[in-house]
Amino acid sequence: MDDERLAKFEAAYTLAYGQITAYAARRCDSPQDAADVVAETFTVAWRRVDELPEGAEATLWLYGVARKVLANHFRGDNRRRARTAELDAELADLYGHSPDTEVELDAIGRAFRSLPDDDRELLSLVAWEGLEREEIAKALGLSRNAVRIRLHRARRRLSRALAAAGVHGHAESRLVPAERPL
Amino acid sequence: MRSTVRSTAKNDDEIDAIRPLARVEPGGRGGEPSGAGARALLAEITAQDPAPTATTVPGPRRRYTRGRLAFGMATAVALAAGIVAVPIVLQDGVPSSYAVNLDDGMVTIQIRDFDDAEGLEKRLRELNVPAMVDHVPEGMMCREPRGKLVENIPRGLYSVPENIPGESEGWQMRINTTLFGPDQTFVWSISGKNGTTTTYLMEGPIAPCEPVPEPPPVKYEPEFRAATFKGGSLEGLRVDEKTVGEVLPELRRRDKKVIFAVINVPPGNPGGYGIDHTQEEPVGDHWVVWEAQENAKGVIQLLVTEQRLDKNPVYGGPRDAIIKD
Repeated sequence: MDDERLAKFEAAYTLAYGQITAYAARRCDSPQDAADVVAETFTVAWRRVDELPEGAEATLWLYGVARKVLANHFRGDNRRRARTAELDAELADLYGHSPDTEVELDAIGRAFRSLPDDDRELLSLVAWEGLEREEIAKALGLSRNAVRIRLHRARRRLSRALAAAGVHGHAESRLVPAERPL
Repeated sequence: MRSTVRSTAKNDDEIDAIRPLARVEPGGRGGEPSGAGARALLAEITAQDPAPTATTVPGPRRRYTRGRLAFGMATAVALAAGIVAVPIVLQDGVPSSYAVNLDDGMVTIQIRDFDDAEGLEKRLRELNVPAMVDHVPEGMMCREPRGKLVENIPRGLYSVPENIPGESEGWQMRINTTLFGPDQTFVWSISGKNGTTTTYLMEGPIAPCEPVPEPPPVKYEPEFRAATFKGGSLEGLRVDEKTVGEVLPELRRRDKKVIFAVINVPPGNPGGYGIDHTQEEPVGDHWVVWEAQENAKGVIQLLVTEQRLDKNPVYGGPRDAIIKD
């Protein structure tokens, strides 16, 4: 039984590690925070290994766990996590490039960060993790319809925020701040 | 790291706009599971036993407002370095559980044997802890309620269980024996080393333990939810950023039972909070309310701080920026 649990967990870990580390790095301002989120997400998953789905759905389930861990992390929960120096170093490698400090992305970044947390998460799951509506529904425990409606609203709000920040669509739909064409 | 982004569908303008914001390029992977960091983390996590039940997953805020503390042995976190306890084995033979007496009525009880209810109860009583301990088989619990729970547990009555330094099994907790009320009993149940240990603080008569199967694990849901949102019992009422003195009369007029959750915010108030403690006793009228929550029984819990903060920590800014009523 315990061997089965271990095998199941290791399979999910190997499959999802790249995506969960990317997920954490995209959402945390520091590699230390990202390492915390990664460590805590997999720690929670190990404790709840009996609930962990098999195969590709495991990754979606882990996104859901990571989402909650992330929310708790920023709620000031400072529990000690199973972080290691190696993990910190590995995550730090992902931080060499800090995209939204680049001038042309600054306006987009500010508009994006002005959105409610739930909007940002939905939009990021589409734009960054490349998830389909149905996959988002599974990860967040929502109905497909709820995802569709919320995403529609989130996109509308983002669109407005971009317009307010002076960012307009161009040919080929590449969006850049209007006053600073690429 | 970043590739040029082109639209894949004609209506994806907004989505395309934020793709370049991703620190790790969209669709890309962060770390490799074969890397040193990944392997070290996997080893560290799987070195622990997975917890036997879902009740052992701690919530983001550890609140023991109903006097209950449920945890699995396997989940006790590694103890931070620096805490030193010198156990003194009591005289009568080799105890299964024993305690360190500290000054001022503080005792540290260490538990290694989760089957010896009688021995543990005896030891606790010797240490002036008014305790009752029952053993139930793993997967079982004593039928509840066994008595009246103490709602206002004195601060510092007991500590969160922690590992025994240098040992992988068992745990210890500190108890301040001077804080027990006259008619109070610390009611424990233990279920072997892989089972769940529960501790309740009760007052008055306690019913004997009648073992019944534990209910299936419940999904974690916070007890309190926002009360001022659509569908909440205070829908339409705004309490955020008002003072307690401004809010209480209206709640009293509505015949609401109100408790106060004193919150802490991380340094710099970046948004987010933790509940320091809850109390029924009203805080001063000048305290500031940040939001009202309610539980299934309609009890209103006000999230309060004594000082006014630069912004509402519940929403990381004005409530209106987040909640569209």
